[in-house]
This record gives sequence, C-alpha cells and structure tokens, in this order.
Amino acid sequence: MQTKNHEWIRDEKHGREISGIHKSLSTTGIFDLNHPQKYIKYAADAGFGRMMLDLGMFYSEYDLENYGNDCTITNEKKAHEHFDLFIGQARSCAISFDAVRVPHLRWDTKRTDLNDLLVRIGGEAISVCKEICCPYIIIQPLFSGIAGCDRWKKNFDFYKKLGNLARQNNVCILLENQCDNVNGHLVRGMCADGSMSVRLIDALNHEFGSELFGFCLDTKACTLCGQDMGELAVKSDKRLKAVFLRECEGINESDSLPRIGCGNIKWLKLIRGLRSIEYNGIMVIDSGDFLRSFSHLLRPQFYPLIKSVIDFFCWQIEMVQQLKKFPDKVLFGAGNMCQSYMEHYGQTDPPLFICDNNEKLWGTKVCGVDVKSPEALRKLPKDCGIVICNIFYEEITEQLKSMRIISPIMYFNDELL
Amino acid sequence: MNTLSVGVQSKDIVFDECPSAGYEMMKNAGFSCCDFSLNSYLSNTSLYSLSVNEFFSQSVEALQRFFGPHKEAAEHAGICINQIHMPYPSYVPGASAEINDYLARTVAPKSMEICAFLGCPYIVVHGFKLAKELGSEAAEWERTEQFLESLAPMAKELGITICVENIYTNIGNRIVEGPCCDVGKAVERIDRMNEKYGAEVLGFCFDTGHANLIGIDFEDFITTLGSRLKVLHIHDNDGIGDLHQVPFTFTRNRENASSTDWEGFIKGLQNIHFNKVLSFETAPVLSAFPKEMKQDVLRFIAQIGNYFAEKI
Repeated sequence: MQTKNHEWIRDEKHGREISGIHKSLSTTGIFDLNHPQKYIKYAADAGFGRMMLDLGMFYSEYDLENYGNDCTITNEKKAHEHFDLFIGQARSCAISFDAVRVPHLRWDTKRTDLNDLLVRIGGEAISVCKEICCPYIIIQPLFSGIAGCDRWKKNFDFYKKLGNLARQNNVCILLENQCDNVNGHLVRGMCADGSMSVRLIDALNHEFGSELFGFCLDTKACTLCGQDMGELAVKSDKRLKAVFLRECEGINESDSLPRIGCGNIKWLKLIRGLRSIEYNGIMVIDSGDFLRSFSHLLRPQFYPLIKSVIDFFCWQIEMVQQLKKFPDKVLFGAGNMCQSYMEHYGQTDPPLFICDNNEKLWGTKVCGVDVKSPEALRKLPKDCGIVICNIFYEEITEQLKSMRIISPIMYFNDELL
Repeated sequence: MNTLSVGVQSKDIVFDECPSAGYEMMKNAGFSCCDFSLNSYLSNTSLYSLSVNEFFSQSVEALQRFFGPHKEAAEHAGICINQIHMPYPSYVPGASAEINDYLARTVAPKSMEICAFLGCPYIVVHGFKLAKELGSEAAEWERTEQFLESLAPMAKELGITICVENIYTNIGNRIVEGPCCDVGKAVERIDRMNEKYGAEVLGFCFDTGHANLIGIDFEDFITTLGSRLKVLHIHDNDGIGDLHQVPFTFTRNRENASSTDWEGFIKGLQNIHFNKVLSFETAPVLSAFPKEMKQDVLRFIAQIGNYFAEKI
C-alpha cells in the first residue's frame, strides 16, 4: 500500500497533515529485542514517528507472575540491556515517545503480594519517562487481593504515592480501565465504570492542585465487557488523554488490528464519542498479536496497513473538527454523500454552494443549495475550503490541481456518521 | 426473619387451557410468586419479523375476561403475580409507523390494564434500541422517555411501577451493552421521573443474565440502584449467549467455580436490604430438560431461590 492512500486530510496549500491527534504505535509491534532496529525501521518507514513504549516488552506479565521464583523468564540485567538498545535504536530512527505503559499483572493473577512492588515499578517507570522525554505514563490501577469496596481508597493512596514523583518529572499519570476475572470470565474491573474513574481522577487532581492525572481508554478491556466505548469516552471527556486501539474477539484476550468497517457499530460508537468531545489526545494502535501471527518475512507488509488504519480512525474522528476550521466551504459532488453532509451538517456548517462535474445539475438546487460548475471555484473567498463529497477523492483532487485551484481541500466521508 | 419470596416466570408452566395446573405446579415446587409472561401473547420474534397478531386489539373487558381464569387460578393456588413482562420491543426500528403506533398506543396501555387487573404492582419494559440510528445513548433514552411518559400518568393512577430493565444489543455475533446498562444514568432518570409525577411510576428490573453478558459489576450496580430496584430476572449464562439457565451452571476454568458473580449478587441485595421477590426468568431450562422432569427442575430452581434468600 502506498503512503498516499492514507492522506485523507491534507492541507493542499501547505502540503502537510493537519491532524491534531497524536498517532502512536505500541512497541508490542516491535520484535526481536536483540535486534529491534529492523522493526523500528518498518514502523518509521510506514509513517510512525511516535510510539508508546510498553515496558511489558522488557518485563512481561509472566515475569511479574513469577516474581521472586526461580523460573522468571527475564533477568533484570538483560532487561536493562534490551531497554538501552531499543531506546538507542529508536532515537536513531527519530522516533519519539508519547507514552510509557507500565508492566502490569495479568487479570487472572494469583499474586496478591505484589502491590508494593507495583508502586516501586511505577516510580521507576516515571524516571524512564523523564529519560526519554515522554509526557504520559499509563499505570494500571491495583486490584489483586483488594476487595471491591476497598479499591477506590487503596488506589487513591497508590496514585497519591506516585503523584509527587510524576509532578517532579513533569509527567501526567493515566489510569486505564481494567477487567476483573471471575473464575475465567472477564468482567468490568477497576476504572471500567466511567463515573468511578472520573471521580478518582478528579479527586487526585484536586489533591495535587493540577491536572496530574488523566484517563487512558483501552478498547480491548471495553470489548471484553461489551462496553459502549463512545459513552466511556464522553464520560471521561477532557480527562481522556490516550486511546489504546486494539481489536479482540470479545471473549478471550488478544491484540489485533481493528476491523473498521461501516457495519461495525463498536467502532462507530467510539468514533462518535471521540468526535463529540473533540478528542485531540494520543491514539495508540496495538497490533502485536496480529503481527506475531504472521511470518517475520511477511510482517513488513503490514506496518503501512496498520498506519492506514490509525489514519482512518483519526480522519473519521477529526472530520467534524476539520470542517469547523474553514470559515467558508463549498462542497464538491452533489450526490448521496452531499445529501448526507447536508443532513448532518447543513445547519451548523452550511456550504456557500455545491459544485459538480455533471452539467445537467448546474443551476439546480440540492437540499436548498445552488449547484454550480467547478469553474465557480476559481472565485472562492480566501481560506474557503473545498470539501469533496464523493468517493473519487484522488481524481477530484487532481482535477482541482490541474485547474490551479489553491484552496485547502478536505475529504468528507459518510460511512461512519 | 426471611422477608424474601421466590418466584418464576409463567412461560412454559402456565397455559391458557388450564391455568390452575400451572400455578399448582409452581406452588408445589416451592414458589410463592409469579412473573407473568404477557410477552408470550405477542412475541419478540414475531415483532422483529414485522408480524403483529390481533391479541391486543381486543377490548380491555375482553382481555380481562381472557385473563380472569389466570387471576383466579393463581389466587386459588396461593401464587402472587408480583411482576409481568410487557411485550417487547415496544418500538421496532425499521417497522412501519402503524406497527410502532400500535405498540405504543394499544399494546403498552392494555398491558398496563392487564397488570392492574391481575393485581400486579410491577411491569417490566425494555428501553428502545435506537442508539445506532439516533447517534447516541442520550438520544435513544429521549425516545424511551417519551414512551414512558405516555404511560406514567396511567401508572400513577393504577398504582403500578414501570420497571426498565438492563438489556443488550448485538454487534454481529457478539453481545454488547444496550439500554439501561449505565446505573448512574438509570438512577438519575428514575428519580427525575418519579419526582415529576410525585409517585413511584418508574423503577428498575435487574437482569442477572444480561448483566453477566456484558461484565457488569453486580454488587456495585445493585447497591447503586438501592430502593429503585423493584424486580429481578435471575438466570445464568456462559458470558457469551443469553441462555437463561439455572444459576451456578457455568464455569470457565479448571477449578470449575461459577463464572458468574453470584457472590456479588448476594452482597448487592444485602447492601440494599432487598425484601421483594427473587424471581427466576428461566423458561429455557424447562425446554432443555425432559418434560417429565419439569416439576423436579422447578423444585431445584426454587431451592436455589431459597438458598439466595437465606444468604441475603
């Protein structure tokens, strides 16, 4: 797939992406810790300039589960060597880090004795953030061995312990929604209820007198619990700083590539929710299991696809915000998509006029708006945007270029309204 | 002292031809209450296939005559009809205005009349499933609220509490949360409507099976509902399909402990001092077992109810 295929939003005048959401790849998509550069380069070549550093790649949930036992898979010295190698090679590919995700316990953990260790790990991970100039750290709430009625208080104390260190290092701590394990059945756990997580975050921010805490929405945890992700996003509102985008079947855990299609209501709801809060935080895509399921010889082909998927999400989320950036706009295309535009945004963002290549439509009206020839685009006011309401985006863009029209161009899409 | 009663839905136990046999069977099994399955008279499967029968076109008087034998038989057997289920859905997306109008203006109010006739204080309704079409849960609730508002004056007059139930919707083969799964919103909406009408016109029906399918925290949900929780639909599933089976049936790991949080269910009901009916919505259990075992199966379900009652 060519890079140009996912340039849906482009300020043609300045030739750059105008997306506000920070697009990141989870480092679970990087393999071979002894030689990570190859994979980092695949990601960078696909257009990922940012990553979310998942420290679980150096110290996994299996290591944590076996902490203190002789059968630990990873030794600490080796983990540090891998970390240094990875960071060095990421820097050489000009990768920056949006967030760090802290190693965490499995949802079916048997360990109820590691909560003090998790405080220590959280503290060390905050230092990692400082080292790699990363503004956000995702630290999962404590749950193991804590009764439901005590969880709020225990977690308030847990995050309070980490808050001072985070403030000193200028790092924002993000709480992430969790699952609980009821004898093999994954159900809503700590921070899954939006009202509760909001209450906890607000209490912590009040305690520290600043916005030191925020929320990270994990789509996997939501999917496993059949949760409406859009509603969770809306409840979290401006506290939502990161969205962790990954597909799973809804019964067992996996980190696959989101299958976004017009019939997929799950993603539609998330997009609608994020649109409604004008989300502009971090979007992390995690496709570790997806990539792992292919031969290493085939994996390079998938990084551009992963980038296309995250671009598509961000495009859909930001479409309404982008529309608002143009004080005036005209629509190109007078068909069904144009009518969809008029139905949803005709009142709030009415176009000056509609143009269409079909000369039979010139002089008529669609949804009460005049339809004109593309020639009328030559007389557009300054900074008037051209919104292409037709799936022939590239062809129309080429047509406008050949007409030497320099107005900014935006692609509208009604698949996920 | 135990103030909890145990009930079961009438579907597949009580039949129009001889209602007394069904109510006697319930009583013999150990139940004292009944969830009357009014929805059997206009099924959801027929509604979703846009087929509407004429049952509710009868006059209220004719419907009362029809259900008279049920009322008498239940009373005679010592069974209290404590809750009924209104036919659902009350709005069919994609159906004609005529069908939806019939559901709202005929089926729903006549269900209320039947509820009152049977001396039943609670009627369970499903919220509209329109989030996809309308763009948000809030817009979806607005439509449900309009429907509830149309029934609220009647509910007040008849002394009935309409109970909204936590239900699910489907994305492909996967079940996801549907209307009334956000307990915070449910509480606010119930309180607002009851305050408006100066009566308990709206309450909640907690469905354990539906909650289990979408991983709801039973204890937290029930505790937050508090006294707004009026009726229960108790049943179990594997967390994947809406199977309406006997509690404690399903396990998902080698330890073979129940994968449904029945402990949370008990704690929640303890927290709110629940003193109403532990009602089972387990008709599919009866079709799963041989007909000859129906009485034994019902007795077993009632015993589970008694176990819950003791624990609570």
